[in-house]
Amino acid sequence: MSPEPASHTLIETRSLTRDYHVGPATVRALDAVDLAVERGEFLAVLGVSGSGKSTLLHLLGGLDTPTGGSVAVDGRDLGSFSPYERTVYRRTVVGFVFQSYYLVPSMTAHENVALALTFQGTFGPERQRRAAEAIRRVGLEHRARHRPSQLSGGEQQRVALARAIVHAPPLLLADEPTGNLDSHTAREVIDLIRQIHSDLGTTVVMVTHDEEMASGLADRIVHLRDGRLLDDGEAAP
Amino acid sequence: MRTWRIVLLALGGLRRTPLRVVLTTLGVTIASGALVCMVGFALGVQEQAEAPFRTLGLINVIRVSPRGDAKTSTAAPLDDAALARMGAIQGVEVAYPDLRARGIQLSFGEKSSTVVAMGIPRQAPLIETAGDIMVAGDDFSPERKPEVILATRVVRDLGFASPKAAVGATVRMQAAGLSPDDARTFTFSRQNLAVQVVGVYEFRAMMPGPISRVVLLPVDVMSRVPGIRFAPAIDRLMAGGTATSAGYSRAMVRVRHHADLFRVEKAIQAMGFKTRTLLSRLQGMRTFFLFIDILLAAIGTVALVVAGLGIVNVLLISVLERTQEIGICKAIGASRGDVVVLFLTEAGIIGFVGGLCGLLLGRGIAWVLEAAANAFARSHGVTAELEIFALPLWLLVTSVIFACVISVVAGFYPAVRASRVDPIEALRQ
Repeated sequence: MSPEPASHTLIETRSLTRDYHVGPATVRALDAVDLAVERGEFLAVLGVSGSGKSTLLHLLGGLDTPTGGSVAVDGRDLGSFSPYERTVYRRTVVGFVFQSYYLVPSMTAHENVALALTFQGTFGPERQRRAAEAIRRVGLEHRARHRPSQLSGGEQQRVALARAIVHAPPLLLADEPTGNLDSHTAREVIDLIRQIHSDLGTTVVMVTHDEEMASGLADRIVHLRDGRLLDDGEAAP
Repeated sequence: MRTWRIVLLALGGLRRTPLRVVLTTLGVTIASGALVCMVGFALGVQEQAEAPFRTLGLINVIRVSPRGDAKTSTAAPLDDAALARMGAIQGVEVAYPDLRARGIQLSFGEKSSTVVAMGIPRQAPLIETAGDIMVAGDDFSPERKPEVILATRVVRDLGFASPKAAVGATVRMQAAGLSPDDARTFTFSRQNLAVQVVGVYEFRAMMPGPISRVVLLPVDVMSRVPGIRFAPAIDRLMAGGTATSAGYSRAMVRVRHHADLFRVEKAIQAMGFKTRTLLSRLQGMRTFFLFIDILLAAIGTVALVVAGLGIVNVLLISVLERTQEIGICKAIGASRGDVVVLFLTEAGIIGFVGGLCGLLLGRGIAWVLEAAANAFARSHGVTAELEIFALPLWLLVTSVIFACVISVVAGFYPAVRASRVDPIEALRQ
């Protein structure tokens, strides 16, 4: 947001809570989570499926609104944003990578990456140049004219990664980015994220259930279980 | 640039289900084509009905007469001063007394003919607007010379070999009548005048019999014909006025463009005169045609609305099918407005293309029907080319705009539905 960071903390949650209503029952997906992410940090959130990891990521990315508590970005409360301000937040501050890639099937890799720029209001040669650069960064320039159905899983995820960073966001949110990939391809994607983190100084929050991968990668690991953030002691096996 | 990107995106969206989109567009095409065709037909028939009035220049004429109560001495007389004021109204080409005299004797050598004479202003003769009724010679000269324009019938009466032979000849005109003076007496006088034939006209088959013996004289010549002021003077005297304040019984005011007609007519009425126009009678006919236009346009609109429902349907399905894609777009920074604009653009493209094709279809149908009607008419011995359809530019432009508007309106609900897609829900699918 502001070019001169006011503090070292980029994003911070306070008693962040999210309830879902499933029929008559209320499910608490996230329960009073206090979490601060430093600028330039690589944070891994570990947890089994259903632990609330994705919910946390959606809340951080402004895709979802909390039932209780708050998310502050650069000291500004996301809850006080208008719907349009949240859109602007998503399109300028956040880059998303999902487990299932979520590419638009009818578009080529290049078009998928450029699509993100369209919504930012970047057009013309600048749009082409930046999209090509992002694709080059993930090493897919030879596949740029292919549609997702012609790409392997790993390649699709790399396209999704290019799309997430094409507008040079300060925050990259990755939701099980390797969940659908074999270990070899997963390694490639992880290396790419690592490289983007160090090259661009992007703050990364990655949720995963793969503890081994997380420990070799992240600056810091937090554990999530049943919507609660565990202390270091609790997390130990 | 942004618009262009969104159009490209929308095209990409439409390209995904080509058959569905083509069928929907075809619906708009047929509806729009039917609309163009039907309204074009009504306009064409109206044009045909009004054409004769137009070519005679009668559509631009206001007939002026003193009001019914003008028989009283205080009413405004229709005199030269009044005509001068009418002539000064903006948009008026000419205002002149409508003078007619019966029993005028024209002779050339041994031959003679009894004719009706009509006064026409020198500066803008009636013939001018209906040039094709002149068969020889020219209009009046601007000099105040005694001149006459003959009807072909009179040319034959006077023994000329052809209308051309009559032009330039000098004929003798004899008239007689009672003229009023201040002393409430009338003087009988005769006029014997040499007039030069400057032109010959023909009222083609419109006015047979004695009316075909109408000759045209310049107003200044006409107003000196004995007896020409007799009738209005009697009226004025009976109402208690003086004979010389009578003015004219009738006058003609011609406007340059018929669009000015009603404004000028109102101004003349405000001056205290009665008016009559052919256009106001045409107006009755136009109201009828307007009704027909509206009826046919309504039928066409119903067709377009049905086509619009098709668009609603197709876009709603599209929203359902593309829920995830919409969710992705939102996750990577599309605003609700972006999504609305995207879907409205898709609807607009269907409408625009459909409207454009509809315009071509309408023109095509009109062309085929016209060709068929003309072929049929020819086989029955009609030589004139019929123009059944009138497709003015405004109709074509309006039909495309209309198709676009209906389509965009149809796209509104699906677009709003799409913009409400919750990205999390969409991505969970």
